[in-house]
Amino acid sequence: MRLELGYLFIEDVQFGEETKLENKTLYVNKDELVNLIKEDEHFEKVDLELARPGESIRITPVKDVVEPRVKVEGPGGVFPGMISKVDTVGSGKTNVLKGCAVVTAGKIVGFQEGIIDMTGPGADYTPFSKLNNVVLVCEPKEGLKQHEHERALRMAGFKAATYLGEVAKNLTPDEVEIFETEPMLESINKYPELPKVAYVQMLQSQGLLHDTYVYGVDAKESLPTIIYPTEIMDGAIVSGNCVSACDKNTTYHHLNNPVVKDLFAKHGKELNFIGVIITNENVYLADKERSSNWTAKLAEFLGLDGVLVSQEGFGNPDTDLIMNCKKIEQKGIKTVIITDEYAGRDGASQSLADADPLANAVVTGGNANEVITLPPMDKIIGDTSYVDTIAGGFDGSLKEDGSIVVELQAITGATNELGFNKLTAKGY
Amino acid sequence: MVKEIERAGIPVVHMCTVTPISMTVGANRIVPTIAIPHPLGNPNLDFEEEKSLRRKLVERALKALTTEVEEQTIFEE
Repeated sequence: MRLELGYLFIEDVQFGEETKLENKTLYVNKDELVNLIKEDEHFEKVDLELARPGESIRITPVKDVVEPRVKVEGPGGVFPGMISKVDTVGSGKTNVLKGCAVVTAGKIVGFQEGIIDMTGPGADYTPFSKLNNVVLVCEPKEGLKQHEHERALRMAGFKAATYLGEVAKNLTPDEVEIFETEPMLESINKYPELPKVAYVQMLQSQGLLHDTYVYGVDAKESLPTIIYPTEIMDGAIVSGNCVSACDKNTTYHHLNNPVVKDLFAKHGKELNFIGVIITNENVYLADKERSSNWTAKLAEFLGLDGVLVSQEGFGNPDTDLIMNCKKIEQKGIKTVIITDEYAGRDGASQSLADADPLANAVVTGGNANEVITLPPMDKIIGDTSYVDTIAGGFDGSLKEDGSIVVELQAITGATNELGFNKLTAKGY
Repeated sequence: MVKEIERAGIPVVHMCTVTPISMTVGANRIVPTIAIPHPLGNPNLDFEEEKSLRRKLVERALKALTTEVEEQTIFEE
């Protein structure tokens, strides 16, 4: 399966009479996009704001971040199973608006939502401060149930990203990257001397607003399976969750998964990137056992030499992570796990809830309990009144002058477990 | 908490869903429960069934509490 990603670089975003891309500036017709999102009867009010890198703006509570894209050639469309039909994606050509994103905000859905500061010390901790953001502020109708609110806001983000992506349908990209995965046997014949490596991606699927969707299927309802990496790059996996902001994978993360991208970069040179096994993180012990048995079984069946495992979220998924690691190692396949840490504010506590001697190669995205002070911003998009109650916040987090003292946990993408951010720790 | 209470000489039963974590942290008597969001109940059952389920879990825990153990033990029944 071969995918061409065409990047159109966006350096500014402005409101305009027509939604279009011109001279690296994305112009957005505000009324048109607001009206499109308002078609969903679950919203009382929809507003649109812009937030550019360096501006004194705080966005909170942030639910999802989505990169605008459009299918240019080949089967399927963007966000299959959500916006487009469920045709297989991951081949042909897709154009990407690089440097901008849709951010969904508004009345909080679940208590685990995040903060994006566009400037100041907080901006260093979130990758989304570097993007030109089109922020949807959606207020739900009174009495809307939480899970319906989640769904409505999730879909609003995809709709807006699809709407914006359309501007690039007939444009020539500034840069093109090509990614290809060949059928396994052909790939092994082509690179017989290279170690066969796959990626096990754990998807947050605890339910109660902690869900991820694959071609529209709720990941907790599925057994682990195999997916082409280019399908992930082309929008097959999307976020539907309100798990802790620092280490949840937004839809933007899925589309730009750095584990996938880096494995492609080494493919055919240092290793043979066979493909991706996706698995879930469910709340029943039997599910955890069954799913980790399955990933180990698939890894063995594929004849792998090595596996990278990434986690999403923390706490009980630490057990899924350790089970995956242990069971795959027991098949004689080397593993590296990618996680983050909840090691207390001083970093002295045990980092993960579970452990095993076989988990002997660990990459960390940083300690989510570390405390940071975010100075006041000139403008708030959304509402800061929730910061005392979001995960990572505490009673007294929000100060009178508008500054915020929180754990990194509250910052969207701060300790991402795909390695999307800059934090890590090294042992010497 | 389990370890600190036991250190004070009082036996503890850890009732939890993810028993591997309980094993890792060093609980001695472990009773597996239903699910992480609802360890001691099951919203899918009707009232009477759920009451019976809860009683069984508590009785199993009490039995575990009064059972001598030589090593970390999971009380499946």
